[in-house]
This record gives sequence, C-alpha cells and structure tokens, in this order.
Amino acid sequence: MVKHLLGDLLRKAQEADGIDSVVVVDNVPQVGPERLEKLKNVIHKIPSKFGKITNEFYPRYIFLEYGAPTQALEAVKNADGYKLDKQHTFRVNVFTDFDKYMSISDEWETPEKQPFKDFGNMRHWMEDPDCRDQYSVIYESGERTAIFNNDRWTETYVRWSPKGTYLATFHQRGIALWGGEKFKQIQRFSHQGVSLIDFSPARGNQSYVVTFSPLMDTKEDPQAIIIWDILTGQKKRGFHCESSAHWPIFKWSHDGKFFARMTQDTLSIYETPSMGLLDKKSLKISGIKDFSWSPGDDIIAFWVPEDKDIPARVTLMNLFNVVDCKLHWQRQGDYLCVKVDRTPKGTQGVVTNFEIFRMREKQVPVDVCCRPLAESIIAFAWEPNGSKFAVLHGESPRINASFYHVKNNGKIELIKMFDKQQANSIFWSPQGQFMVLAGLRSMNGALAFVDTSDCTMMNMVEHYMASDVEWDPTGRYLVTSVSWWSHKVHTHTQLIHTPDRHTHTQGINSYCRVDNAYWLWTFQGRLLQKNNKDRFCQLLWRPRPATLLTQDSIKVIKKDLKKYSKIFEQKDRLSQSKASRELVDKRRSMMEDYRTYREAALQQHHEQKTARLQLRGGVDTDELDSNTDDWEEETIEFLSTKKSFPSESSPLRR
Amino acid sequence: MSHPLKPILLQGHERSITQIKYNREGDLIFSVAKDTVANVWYSVNGERLGTYNGHTGALWCVDCDWDTKNVLTGSADNSCRLWDCETEDNQPYLTVPCAESKITSAVWGPLGEFVIAGHENGEINQFSAKSGEVLKKVKEHNKQINDIQTSVDLTMVITASKDCSSKLFDSTTLDHIKSFKTERPVNSAAISPIMDHVVMGGGQEAMEVTTTSTRIGKFEARFFHAAYEEEFGRVKGHFGPINCVAFHPDGKSYSSGGEDGYTRIHHFDPQYFDFELEA
Repeated sequence: MVKHLLGDLLRKAQEADGIDSVVVVDNVPQVGPERLEKLKNVIHKIPSKFGKITNEFYPRYIFLEYGAPTQALEAVKNADGYKLDKQHTFRVNVFTDFDKYMSISDEWETPEKQPFKDFGNMRHWMEDPDCRDQYSVIYESGERTAIFNNDRWTETYVRWSPKGTYLATFHQRGIALWGGEKFKQIQRFSHQGVSLIDFSPARGNQSYVVTFSPLMDTKEDPQAIIIWDILTGQKKRGFHCESSAHWPIFKWSHDGKFFARMTQDTLSIYETPSMGLLDKKSLKISGIKDFSWSPGDDIIAFWVPEDKDIPARVTLMNLFNVVDCKLHWQRQGDYLCVKVDRTPKGTQGVVTNFEIFRMREKQVPVDVCCRPLAESIIAFAWEPNGSKFAVLHGESPRINASFYHVKNNGKIELIKMFDKQQANSIFWSPQGQFMVLAGLRSMNGALAFVDTSDCTMMNMVEHYMASDVEWDPTGRYLVTSVSWWSHKVHTHTQLIHTPDRHTHTQGINSYCRVDNAYWLWTFQGRLLQKNNKDRFCQLLWRPRPATLLTQDSIKVIKKDLKKYSKIFEQKDRLSQSKASRELVDKRRSMMEDYRTYREAALQQHHEQKTARLQLRGGVDTDELDSNTDDWEEETIEFLSTKKSFPSESSPLRR
Repeated sequence: MSHPLKPILLQGHERSITQIKYNREGDLIFSVAKDTVANVWYSVNGERLGTYNGHTGALWCVDCDWDTKNVLTGSADNSCRLWDCETEDNQPYLTVPCAESKITSAVWGPLGEFVIAGHENGEINQFSAKSGEVLKKVKEHNKQINDIQTSVDLTMVITASKDCSSKLFDSTTLDHIKSFKTERPVNSAAISPIMDHVVMGGGQEAMEVTTTSTRIGKFEARFFHAAYEEEFGRVKGHFGPINCVAFHPDGKSYSSGGEDGYTRIHHFDPQYFDFELEA
C-alpha cells in the first residue's frame, strides 16, 4: 500500500539525510478540512514528545521526521498502539522497516531446517532404579548450587518446574533452564535483571515460564513481564507491570489453559497458546480484591469487599460485615475454605469463621465451621489428598493446633486440639495423613510430628533456628534447614547457665553463631542426617510429575506391599554389605600404601642415627627410654585437689 | 592423685590459650596465652611449677629444647624471649623477620638442616637453616596455615589450616601423604607417637547452644585414622574453640588448650588402644 509513496519519499529523503529518523503513522482517520486542525494538534501532542517533528500528511498515513533516529525509535515504542478512538488505533513503524519488508524476495525460500537438539531423556531422574528423589541445594551464600553431585552456578536462587523437569537458575542477563540426564542447559531466556519467575502447569507439550524484571528501560526488552514458550524458547508476549509486590502477577488455571491477572477493578483472563484475552476483553469487576483458580476445574473464585449498602461477595456466596477474606483451596479442588474475619455489629473484636464449600456436590453446599474461633488465626492448611485441615490459632505463648475433618454428610468435626504448641507454620506431607507443626525462625525450630489418622503426636524434636521445612515428593522424608539468608549477621556471646542456676565465671568466651545446615528426618520424626554446608542457603526437593498409575493399580500395589517390602529390605542389605566390602577394600589398600611409605621413612630415619647422635653430643634421644642411665630417681609429694568432672576422656563416642 | 580416666583441667591463664607444648620426655607441659604469661605444669597431675613473666604482648608460641634446659617464647610484642627453664630470668632474643606471606607456624627438620614453615596464604616452605633460601615449596592448602607439628621422629609434619582441613606431609620431600577434612577451620593438629592416629582441634564457626546446656562444653577435639583418613572419635569439653592440641610423647594422653582459657589433659582409656576400624 505504501509502494506508490515510497518512490517520492525515497527521492526526498536522499536529499535530506536521516531516513532513519522517519516514522510512519498508519490508521489515521480521514478527516475533512474543518477537523484537520484538531487532528494535527492531536498528532503533535503524542509523538512530538520525542523530538522535533517535521511532518507530511497523506490521507491515512502521516510521515513524521524526527531530529534523530533514536527519537524515531522512541516514538515507535511508545506511540504504536495508541487508541485515538474506538475505530482508530495508531500503528507506528520506523520507515526503514518498510524498506526491509519491501526487499523481501518474492521467492519463497524454505527456511533452513534447524538441527534437532536432542537433550536426551528429560525424565531421566525418574528412572533412578532405587527411586531416589533429587533436591537442589544452594550454599556458600549463593555461590554454589548442587544437585546430587552436579555443580552448577547461580547468582541468586533456583526454582524447579512444577513437574520437576527443569531447574531454573537466575543470572543478570536472564534465566537458564537445565535438565535431562546430564543437566545440560536446555534453554536460555534473555531478560536483563530478571528477579522473579513463575512456571505454568504443563499441558501436553505446552509449558511456559513467566519472568519479571524491574529494569524496563532497555531497548531489547521494553516489557517488565515476559511469557516464554519453554520448548521453543520463543518470547510469546510481554506485559507491563507496575509492581511485583504480589508475585505471581499472573495466576495459572489448573492445567495451564488460561492465565489471569487482576488490576484496578479488572480481571483479565488470557488463553494459551494465543496469549490473547479470552473473548477479546477483560472483565470489569468493580472493587475486586483477590481471586484464585480452582485446582481441579476452570473455575475462579474472587471476592469483592462491601461497599455502602452492597454486601461483600465471593462469587459463591454473599457475606455481611466482613473484615477480611482468605481463600484456601484443597489440593484436588474438592473443597474451598473461606476464612472470614468479621467484626459483629456492636463489638470491637474480630471473630473468625471458616466456611467450607464442598465443590463436588450438587449446588456446592456450604458449611460453617461449628466453633467460631475468637482467636487470631496464625496458619491454615488443608490435607492434600484428604478432607482434613489443620489450624494454628491463638497468640504466643498460648498457641493451639486444631484438626478438623469434613465428613461426607457435610458436618465439620473437630478431631483434636493440642494446646501450648510452639508453632507458627503447618506442613502437611504431600501424600496426606502425616504432618509437622513447626515453630520456625523466632520460635527456635521446634518441630512436632503428627499422625492425623488418630491425631497422635509421634515425636517432638528441635532443629535450633530452623528457617525452612520441605517435604520430599513422596512424603517419606522431611528436610529442615537453617538458611544463611535468614540469619545474616549473628554474633553474640552467651554465658552458660547450669540447671542449678549457677553461671560459669572466670574467662568464658563461648561462641553462639548459627550453623547453616540441612537435616534429614523420617516422616515420623527420626533424625537421619545432619549436613553442614558453608553458608547454606536453600534446599528444594525436585517435584515429581503426576503418577501414571490408575487408582486400581495403586490399590493392587498396596495389597502386595509386604512382598515388595521384603524385596527392598534384601536390596538394602546387599547394598550395605557391598558398601562395607568396598570400604574395607579401600581401607586395605590405603593401609598398604601408608605402611610402604612409613617403612621407607623409618629406613631413612635409621640411616640418620649417627648424625642425630652427633647433634646431641652422643646422647641417644630416639626413644623415651633410650638413655635410662641418665635418669635420676626423685620422690615428690603432691597434694591432690578434689575436682570432679564427668568422665569425658574416651574419644570413642560415635 | 586424680583418676586416670578423668580429664585434668589446668587453670592459670586469664585469656585464651594460644599454644601448648610437651617437653621431649613428656613430664612437663608449657602453655602460653594472650594474657602475656607463660606457664609450666607437671603433666602427670596438672600442678603448676612456675610462670615466666616479662613479655608485654600476647604470647603466640612456645617451645623448649630437647633436654629441657631452655624455653623459647614468641610474642606480639615483636620479641622472642629465651628463658632458663628452672629460673624465671628474662633474656631478650632477636627476632627473624620474613618477607612475603607472613609465616604463621614453623618447625625444625629432622637434622636441624632446614625449617619447615607454614604461611598465611596456605603455602609450606622449607628454608635452609644455614642460608635462609627456600629449598622446597608446596601449596596444598588454599587458606592460612594455623599450625604445623612434627611426628615424634621428625619424619612427618601435619598442618592445620583455615580451609577446614589438615594434611600430612613428609618432612624431607614435602610430599603430600594424607588429608583430613572437616567442616570447620582447623586451628591445630598433632600426630600420635604410637598409633596411626591424628588429633585436630578447631571450631571458629557456629556451635548450637540449646536451652539444655550443661556444664560440659560442646567444642570437640576430633580423632582421625591416619591411614584411612576417616574420623573415628571426638572428645567434648571446651567451652570455646580449641586453639592447640598436643600428644604426650608416650602417646598415652593428649592435651588441648582453648579459647575459654583452659588447658585440658586427657588420658586415654584401654579401649582407645584396642580400637580398630574394620579392614
């Protein structure tokens, strides 16, 4: 369309220089002369911000010439897409781009086939014959990241993709994804200054990664949030972002088909793979405060606070006198719990109610928790795979842990309450049934392991100053850790107090900094390992993809569990004795080498005897009893002083 | 007499112990500390024999000669002093300056022909005692050497380093024979005169102090098998990091001096001598 104009302009431009400073504005409305002035003013206003313009008008197109090519680029960046009115959206392009497009040959050249990049088996870790899970460990204040024995380097922290296929590392220039058998670099996404990342759920071959960078002023990446296709590495779409305070800004639906974000009074839902708005428009929801996707279906729950006479509402229900609302989905999407804090009329205090929506039943019945708790709620968590939930409520030091069960008939039953707990967080095993109440950070790492099938306390232990808790994907192991990030500067001295209230005096300098380490426990609270790592930062278990077994095959396996147990135990015994044999062989060869060395050294020592005798004037000092002739017998009386210390001299404490 | 299995506690310094040394025959222990004072004790029962006063700065090292006639101390007041063991005269001595990386520890070679020194940068050098030139040089540690000690027959030396490891070297060739790894900086290491054992002390980094602390300090001396490089035992007792360890020349006991100002003498029980790792 621009062809016929090109000829003229090219000639003109060759006279002036700076063809690179020319910008073409398309989709300008055709106006009659009376409105031309108005149009000119509008045109001047927007793009003129970027430099002096000399412009030429043609019907539908405007050519703007700026003082410098940089200004032209700025104009394109900022004015492209400007909505003049409902029917006219400016499209702005640098003129030289047209030239580029024009010179595309009319011949269709088949694009060169890219060699297939074989990254190997991306699920290789799942084939570990002993079904061991992997975890990533960051230590040395972030300078080292290790997965098993693979060492990689990252600048800040790492993230696993939801099914465990990839490990993302952060760098100044962007994100790198690693995976496969040898942890090769699979993909790189260039996003200068990236600081946050989120993965979409995987849907067949489609999966995306969302990156955020607060640096918006680079030419190559003018957008703050970018969505990337992981498999192709393509940048799919960029978005602006005012604040990253509530990351992830985009929340994904359960299977990754949709993603949505909330801005002032608006809910924008996008679909994949087009990355376009669903129904080509955002939803206007005046006052929307928060929303969340069901983990099982394409359902969003959102809530809006009350406004004068209009009560606050969640899409599922109306509520009155609400102060705050928190939505907690159960893992499979079977239940939604809405925690409602309200101040009943005429009172000052805040009363908390739980309203449980049973999603799987007709018309989604709602049950109100029978005991409204008049205390502040510290934590709430659903049992994954189950229908129980745990609540921590109260105020330190009187914190209580309550366990509830949502029964089939809808009744919510309190199973048990444990009082006077040192806990501020709840961690359920990913398989359900077992859980840990943890008092992290300021509560000094108190841990209570609970079996919720009968609500018994299995074990109460401590990992002093623990800052994080991570269950492995199978729910058999738990890692508690003291992260260097949570205790950066920490030196102080302390006097030791004995149980009988005496303090140590005289010259005690004891140190009390924090051991950065991660400890491994069984699900019952038995300590298996302590691993100190210099300036340890973070440990994350590698997630597993969903099981391929059906419910029936799982039932069959559970029936035959005894048979499998026997096989596994035998395997364990074999591998242990193999390790012993290997160790024994290694020791034997080390001892042989050492003995050979010592013999040679002693031989040399022997040969030097005459020299030694000379040095000490003929006195043989090779052995303690070499020159007993020289000894004098002396009887000395000692006064013995009574000081009792517990016997500590045996070094053989293992 | 104290029970042979209970550790003996030597209290006589007001600040952290920097070095302890047995004399060749093992009946005496010399201890020096940051309080500018050097003490000498009977190792059999911990009774203090005497004190050497005179330095004006913290004492960092001490040694006595082979027939326990003279005692040499090194101090932060930039002087070494030579003392007569039995009297407490002070006779000033000259210090030997060194260029490049500061020397943190040094021992004599088997025939007094060279000195083996450990440096701040982790290097170990053999200096000729006659000319001062460097005869051999190795760099196996990557952080400061905190201590070097010899085996009783002077054929081997053991180094203790801030890089959390301790290494065994042949004195003459400086060949690296063994490595012993921990997670804390090692302040001192010693070789047993009679067993294939080494002992290490350290612990600058963290210690967990729980609310159930007792009077026993939690800082530990750690014992490694010299051939297998495996740790086989620990002894608790100090309330602060251990700065110096030493075996009694007969190998039946050892001592440790700590940041807490105490020196502890431990006699081994019979189990220690019978203990073997499966091989």
